[in-house]
Amino acid sequence: MTTPAIQRSVMPPVLLIEDEPSIMALVSATLERNGYEVVCIESGADALRMLEKGQFLGVVSDMRTPGGVDGAQVHTWIAQHRPDLVDKVVIITGDYANEETVSTLRKIGAFYLEKPFRVQDLISAVEKTMGKAR
Amino acid sequence: VLASGATLKEFASNSTPSPEGRTAPNSDDAFQKLLLRVAAKAAGRADPTSLIQLFCAATREFFQVSGVYFWRRHAGDELVGEQADGKLAERFIGLRLLPQQSAVTAEAVRSRRTIFVNQLQSSPTFPAAHQFEARSLMAAPLVVFDEVIGAATFLHDSDEEFFNEDLAAKATILAGQLGSLLEATRLGEASREEHRRAEILAEVTHALHGTPDVAAVLEALADRLRILLRTRLVSILLRREGPFELRAVSAETPQLANSFRAGHDRQTIRFAADLAQRAVSAGETITISISSDQHSLGSMVSAGMLIAAPFRTTRTQGAILVYPRHEGTFTPEEKALVAAIAGLGAVAVAHAELCATAQAQAKELQQLLEISSELRSSGDLEHFLQAFVVRAADFLGFGRCFIALLEDGQFHVRYAVARGEARRLDTVYPEGIATRALRAKEAFWSDDLTQLAGANLEAIAQYHARQLLTVPLLGADEAVLGMFGVLDRLDGTGISQQDIRRARALAAQVSVVLEVAHNLHQSERHRRRAEALMQLAREIDGLLRLPDFARKFVERAIQLAGARAGAVALFQDGRFQTVVLHPQRTEDRALHHRFVQALSGFVAKRPEAIVSGSAAELLGPEVASSLNWADCVVVRLPGSNGELAGLLCLSGRTQPLSPEDRELFEAVAGHAAMALENARLFTRIEQANRHWLEIFDAITDFIVVHDETDKVLRVNRSLAAMIGVAPSELIGVNMRALLTLTNEGTLYSCPFCRAMGEDSDEFVHPALDRTYLVSTSRVHGASGENLQTIHVLKDITDRREAERRYRELFDNIQEGLFFSTPEGRFIEVNDALVAMLGYASREELLQVDIPTQVYFSPEQRQHHSEILAKDGHLRNFEATLRRKNGTPIYVLINAFGMYDSQGNLLQIRGLMLDVTGLHTYQSELQRERDFSGKILSNTQSLILVSDTAGLISYANRRWYEAGFEQRELLGRPLLELAAPGFVRALSDALQSTLSGGQVDNLELQIMRGNGHAGQFSVNLSPMRDEQDNINSIVVVMTDITDSADLRDKLVHAEKMAAVGQLVSGVAHEVNNPLTAILGFADLLMENPEVPETARKDLRVILLEAQRTKQIVQNLLSFARQMPPQRKPVQLNLILRRTIQLRSYDFNSHGVDVIEHLDEGLPDVIGDAHQLQQVFLNILNNAYDAVHEVGRPARIEITSMRAGEAVEVSFRDNGPGISHPGRIFEPFFTTKEVGKGTGLGLSICYGIVNEHGGEIRCHNNTDGQGATFIVRFPAAPNTASLSVAAGVNQP
Repeated sequence: MTTPAIQRSVMPPVLLIEDEPSIMALVSATLERNGYEVVCIESGADALRMLEKGQFLGVVSDMRTPGGVDGAQVHTWIAQHRPDLVDKVVIITGDYANEETVSTLRKIGAFYLEKPFRVQDLISAVEKTMGKAR
Repeated sequence: VLASGATLKEFASNSTPSPEGRTAPNSDDAFQKLLLRVAAKAAGRADPTSLIQLFCAATREFFQVSGVYFWRRHAGDELVGEQADGKLAERFIGLRLLPQQSAVTAEAVRSRRTIFVNQLQSSPTFPAAHQFEARSLMAAPLVVFDEVIGAATFLHDSDEEFFNEDLAAKATILAGQLGSLLEATRLGEASREEHRRAEILAEVTHALHGTPDVAAVLEALADRLRILLRTRLVSILLRREGPFELRAVSAETPQLANSFRAGHDRQTIRFAADLAQRAVSAGETITISISSDQHSLGSMVSAGMLIAAPFRTTRTQGAILVYPRHEGTFTPEEKALVAAIAGLGAVAVAHAELCATAQAQAKELQQLLEISSELRSSGDLEHFLQAFVVRAADFLGFGRCFIALLEDGQFHVRYAVARGEARRLDTVYPEGIATRALRAKEAFWSDDLTQLAGANLEAIAQYHARQLLTVPLLGADEAVLGMFGVLDRLDGTGISQQDIRRARALAAQVSVVLEVAHNLHQSERHRRRAEALMQLAREIDGLLRLPDFARKFVERAIQLAGARAGAVALFQDGRFQTVVLHPQRTEDRALHHRFVQALSGFVAKRPEAIVSGSAAELLGPEVASSLNWADCVVVRLPGSNGELAGLLCLSGRTQPLSPEDRELFEAVAGHAAMALENARLFTRIEQANRHWLEIFDAITDFIVVHDETDKVLRVNRSLAAMIGVAPSELIGVNMRALLTLTNEGTLYSCPFCRAMGEDSDEFVHPALDRTYLVSTSRVHGASGENLQTIHVLKDITDRREAERRYRELFDNIQEGLFFSTPEGRFIEVNDALVAMLGYASREELLQVDIPTQVYFSPEQRQHHSEILAKDGHLRNFEATLRRKNGTPIYVLINAFGMYDSQGNLLQIRGLMLDVTGLHTYQSELQRERDFSGKILSNTQSLILVSDTAGLISYANRRWYEAGFEQRELLGRPLLELAAPGFVRALSDALQSTLSGGQVDNLELQIMRGNGHAGQFSVNLSPMRDEQDNINSIVVVMTDITDSADLRDKLVHAEKMAAVGQLVSGVAHEVNNPLTAILGFADLLMENPEVPETARKDLRVILLEAQRTKQIVQNLLSFARQMPPQRKPVQLNLILRRTIQLRSYDFNSHGVDVIEHLDEGLPDVIGDAHQLQQVFLNILNNAYDAVHEVGRPARIEITSMRAGEAVEVSFRDNGPGISHPGRIFEPFFTTKEVGKGTGLGLSICYGIVNEHGGEIRCHNNTDGQGATFIVRFPAAPNTASLSVAAGVNQP
């Protein structure tokens, strides 16, 4: 566990926006086990405030998040205010049946994962967008 | 028999019957000839007048009288003089004689007997006779059918004693014959008018002979005997089956005769009958002594010796009773004479019987023939002659006696008696002195034959003859008939003058008997021939086909002529056409041909009526030998106008042709000619009759014929058809019945006669309300006396109606109508024209001069006339005419000319239209029409007009823009426009509108022009005519398919949105734990610290989690709303996925789902999601259905190719569908409230329809469940597309 701790200090954490505790637990567990540091937050609005000042490796966001700001909006905000992170956003959605959601996701061009996803899908998506953990 | 006061010409038994001067002409032979001559005349189809003429002339000549007069009996028994020959003939015509008048003829008619009166000059009783200067008169009634039809009167103006019994008998026969022939001729005449010729001929045959006259003969006999024997009373009694009856009385005074006849004291008759019986029993003449108390006649008859002489014929026994004289007894000679006369009586009775029988009825022909044969064998004559020779020998006192008859120039001994024993002989009396004397009509006698010079000693020796006395038997015409001879006196004395005188007297009797027998034979032969001729006539007349006729005719002719063979050849159209040989030689055609040739040759050479000769001579040796004919008689059959009608050939006759045979053949030929003519005539009548009947029945006018009692005799088919029965059913019906059929109370019998009586030729049928023009004629029917009325009813209802309509039209038409003369006067105008031209009345207008008063200028009219002359008519010719008040009127004239056969103009007829106000009206109308038209054309609504029968009569332009063609609309039923399932609704709406209702906003599916149904809002309004009757229906339809679709989509979208939200919400909620489960399971699997046993469990968790994931994904896939696509899809894939969606429910509820999916199923172009929705809905329905029933649930799903379509069926074993027809209607549901929306199958229907397919359902025929069938068109090029299709499967 030490080596990862050292690494954690040099590599910024992944911001996880997820209000569902079980998903939050799964994603953070998966990412941490693969060497990523994870900061979790439940609300999209709170996440934006954190993104204003914090350093993050990337963002993994649920599509539907409480606090008036959903995953898509988070992605839009990032594209405007944190262009460095715009390619490092992975959106998780369980709502692909919703045509609106799907079209939104296609429009913003964010990388997205459909629930239920497999652990390997998540790892490869994060690695692809944010790079492998050191 | 005789009128009182007249004197009978005396009968003398031993003298020749008539004075020398007139013996020859009225001899029996001449009499036969006369009979044949009259018969032949009648057979030659002489008319009655000429027949009577012949009769009068011939009988006058025959009887040698001064005049013969023919009376005709008319109604009221009055006799009217019709024809006469001889003295004062012209005065006789039209003379009237009443039966009660005192006249010989009247007496004859009253008594129905021939009567003669001599010595009229001394009798004042008959004024008419004096008028005609008659010295003696004879009258014979003509009796036919037991009825007197007339009488013949014979007059002699110089001889006081002219008439006698013999003449009377002949007159009776002649009159009877004439009566029969007249009747036959009359019937023959009638038969030409009647078609039932055969029947009438039968009647003619019946009527051939008049009433027999036995009584007259017997009365005469009694009279003669009484006078001869100078007694007061002679009576004759006869008996057949029963007791003796008094048949004749001759008394000295009428009182005696009357008391005897009246039989006040029955004793008289009984006594006479007893005497007769005694004589008959004795079998010979007896003498009986009687007293006055026995005979019960008191002093009128003396007591004394009575002679009773019996006689008998085959059927009758009789006796002559000669009552005692006043003075003296009867000598044996007198007694013998009575016996001989009794024999005569037998002959007379036999004769009369024969006559009676012969003259009775033709139906007793068999009986007649029987008697004829008796006659032919001369049974009675034999009897008589045999008895005669015995009695003669006895009477004269000679040992032997014989009678020889002169036959073929030789005396044949027929009857002989030797020593009281009669013998029938047939030996020739040897020629010699005796025969020479006899031929010279002299008696011959010798007391010793052997002593005679030139005697035939050999014969004398052969017959052991010594004494011989022979006298000739002389006939009425003084001809030698034979001889009567006696041999060897018994007392051995010489032959005395008394012997000779007695022998002469006896010979005279024999002569009379022979004459009578001969006459009988002759008349019998004549009668037989007449019968045969009539038979022939009757038979051949019934045969209207010529071959039948010919065959029968030749057979009969051969029979009649006593020939062996014969032939008849009928000559038609210049050659012999019908040839019949008898016996038949049909097999030999060549012989027929040669025979016809021979006949043709014969006809050219021999013009005689009858030719007799050798067959070889007449027909040529070849034909003669072929026919095997030696002799031949050829008889010409004359045609009606004298030309040749045919030939009759006869061969094998045994005797040479006698004059009688010639007469017979002439008669036969006459009959044949008559029959041939009849056949032709009959055929013509038949044809004419048939033709007439056809016409009668073909005439559509009603024809009815009735008699004077208004009985229907005939109706034609049209009338019978109108009444509705067969024509035959109306025959005999009273004319009243025709009215009864019409339910009119009746006062009159014949409705049509009544119509005539009221001087109207029209009859209005009260029930049918039809008018008939009755034309009536009255004619005498064929049967003569009855007046027949013929009504012809022409149905003129239509004509009357046409006239009425014409009049109505003429009077009421608003255009001015006129008939005018070419000169310029109106002949007829209607009120419209009067009003148009401003006149007060028609009469006023008829007075005006057209050129000057109606036209503004005569030139204008002239102009019109020229055009009319040139074109024959004026068409829409505008003109300005002048009203009465001088103002102009603008008219349009249409007129034409009426011309006669020479082409001259008779009338101008035409019509005028006031067009003054027309123009403004027209433009107004046009504007209105345009306006309406524009509205109709430009409205977006589809507008139809239907008639009350529901047939489209108008469709506006929008229909044609919507893809309909005119022929699909106009005249077609409105209901055809409704889509299946909506016909009822439209029909109900139509009915409601027809009963006056208005139907608004009825939403229906209507078939569009392209064959697809569209949703329409339909308004129906009744359109009414002036009388407020609905005469059509206006249908306005608005296509609301788009709005309906929109509404459907909305419903769908809303529902789908809700479902989607629900599903996605659920999925979302499920996804999160599922994601965690899957994720942590993955993490655990990656964890090397997890032992292998736990990994095994983990794999199960992963697998199940993944299955869950798939379920969720399917749910989400269904919920996801996709835009409709048109791409090739594989129905099997969609089916499987749909089944999978519900497999949990099926499994958990034990529903057995059986798939029969055709793996080679072609693709279908469509939207996979929508199709899935269809299948899901059907499956859900099936699931719900099978779930409801208790039995093991089963759903069979089959996909298969069906021609150019793909068919998927879902068969369940649920309860079936209660309303298969309504199940696709929106919001129709059988499910419990809240369990289904009722939209499901309706949406299915819409989707399938959008895919160009069809969906239907039906209950299974095995009674369990229902089957839904969905068909789609198969996609083209399925194979190449199916690969690509896989890409698109979610």
